[in-house]
Amino acid sequence: MGAFRFILRRLAFSAVLILGVSFILFALINAIGNPIQIMLAETPGVSDEMVATLSKFYGLDGNFIDRYWSWLWAILHFDFGTSIIYNQPVADLLQVWGMETLKIQLPGLVLSTLIATAAGVVAATKQHGWADFSIVSSAMLGHSLPGFLIGILLILIFSYWLGVLPSYGAYSTRNLFMGSIVIDGLWHMVLPVAMLTVFNTATLTLLMRSSLVDVLRQDYITAAWASGLPARRVVLHHALRNAFIPQLTYLGTLFGLMLGTAPVTETVFTWPGLGALYISAIQQLDYPVIMGETMIITVMLVLATLLTDIAYVAIDPRIRLA
Amino acid sequence: MNAELAPTALAETAPLRRPPLGVWRQSWHRFRRNRAGMIGLFLVALVVLTAIIGPFAAPYDPNDQSAMLRGAAHAAPSARNWLGTDQNGYDVLSRGIYGAPTALAVGLGAMVIASLIGVLVGGIAGYVGGFVDEALMRGADFFMIVPIFVVILAVVRLFGIIVVGTALERIPNLNLMTIILLLGLFSWPPIARMARAEFMRLRHAEFVEAALCIGTTRRDILFRHILPNALPPLIVLVALGIGTAILTEAMVSFLGFGDPKSISWGQMLFFNYQALKVAPWACLVPGAAIFVTVLGFNLLADGLTDAFNPRVRG
Repeated sequence: MGAFRFILRRLAFSAVLILGVSFILFALINAIGNPIQIMLAETPGVSDEMVATLSKFYGLDGNFIDRYWSWLWAILHFDFGTSIIYNQPVADLLQVWGMETLKIQLPGLVLSTLIATAAGVVAATKQHGWADFSIVSSAMLGHSLPGFLIGILLILIFSYWLGVLPSYGAYSTRNLFMGSIVIDGLWHMVLPVAMLTVFNTATLTLLMRSSLVDVLRQDYITAAWASGLPARRVVLHHALRNAFIPQLTYLGTLFGLMLGTAPVTETVFTWPGLGALYISAIQQLDYPVIMGETMIITVMLVLATLLTDIAYVAIDPRIRLA
Repeated sequence: MNAELAPTALAETAPLRRPPLGVWRQSWHRFRRNRAGMIGLFLVALVVLTAIIGPFAAPYDPNDQSAMLRGAAHAAPSARNWLGTDQNGYDVLSRGIYGAPTALAVGLGAMVIASLIGVLVGGIAGYVGGFVDEALMRGADFFMIVPIFVVILAVVRLFGIIVVGTALERIPNLNLMTIILLLGLFSWPPIARMARAEFMRLRHAEFVEAALCIGTTRRDILFRHILPNALPPLIVLVALGIGTAILTEAMVSFLGFGDPKSISWGQMLFFNYQALKVAPWACLVPGAAIFVTVLGFNLLADGLTDAFNPRVRG
């Protein structure tokens, strides 16, 4: 099968998957009844007419299938509707809050990849030495450490006991740190980024080590040693390239995992990102935001998986297209 | 020369004296030598014992808020409350102990559901093959790519509203059951993939063909010949899955979507997180409990991988 057909097939499957998720969630939200009615049930002095008008405004009148179609049609034109709670276009909210999420997640991903690669190389080349033992055992511990516990420990140590780093928010509400909004922002990023880095590094290190150990055992590496190449070149140039392949596929999964667990990360650090937005939307039944954000996260996840699959095939010619 | 010959000769005659050990006994012998696995087994045993004996040994009733009355909420660890009291005047130790059965119920419940679906789907896909295989595995992919955590949060919340006023509302701990069910529904694909691979491998194994020749029924071939041989790798996945399920439930509860009527470690974190600065013990104890449990199951799975599959690591 050609590469083009492979990509086409994966794209078609992704489209079906995204449609499926959106339909199930839409049906569930529909099953709770009219969100406007539930939200205003406790508010005194709300007439049925007002509920009807509001429902019409948010597109909640008409039957289920019609509404799903119009929602889908709007989504395809990048119109995510208007948030009931924030009274702003959902697309704008997603963009603004999404940037805050990426601001901590991308540095976390990059930093952990770098650290994990270095640690993995050390552990794999000094196999069964004390460096290997301490790297592997701390990675095993870190791998089981829940993200929020890392966050709690970081806050306790650096914010409460040492008092050197802010424990919540993306910016100071009153005095900016060192008088600059950029430095203040970076200052607030330190702990969340540290938490994500610690969280990801453990798993990535274990993966890096085991794939490098496998590669170092292969014949072409023995040949490289035998040809008298320096150790640096054999490990970093010849072995590392192939050892990176499993790492690369995992990065896509990891990105999805981080995005999916953003609600936890952002609750721990009271960070104004997609996760915090999602939680407030679920609690207050802001259904356009729930739908819009689930769609965005699903699409990102599907794209990440698709890209890693394609990259996998592009990098490693041994892999059969299926 | 003679000294070298003797052990070889002994090794050759050994099978005659003693029948070879079964796969399970052999695996246990290998598992016992695996340090990580044994630590994992110890930690898991600790959690299971806490869940069984703990409730009889807990110093306070988990719903006892009497510390509030004497103004002793947020009390630091002392002789009276070994691990302190929390925001609501609960004894942290007692509450922590009662969290163990909940965690195990979540992990085991979710994995029972996941294994049933996974083995059924994977087994059929692997044994039948062809179009059925393709369709079932695409279904598994669907559940694999969906952003599980986000969807679980939304479904738990929405389902909580849907059941209001229906007969379902009277089921005790309904919210927790929903979470367990969802965790099971979303964690079967890895099990299905492994079961499929094993069933495909074993379908043409010699002993299965031998069984076919002597006229064994299809049911017996599937359940008595293929399934027991496919179990070892599946058990590893289940052990890993229990840890993941416990962690996910903790995260769901930490965000405030847990079951208010059940006592879980995630709930403790949810209630006490705002008071982290005044009463860090109330967050650290459930946090440590989750860590120990998840670590236990992960190490156990690691040891089992080695025990069942000695060639994986050199």
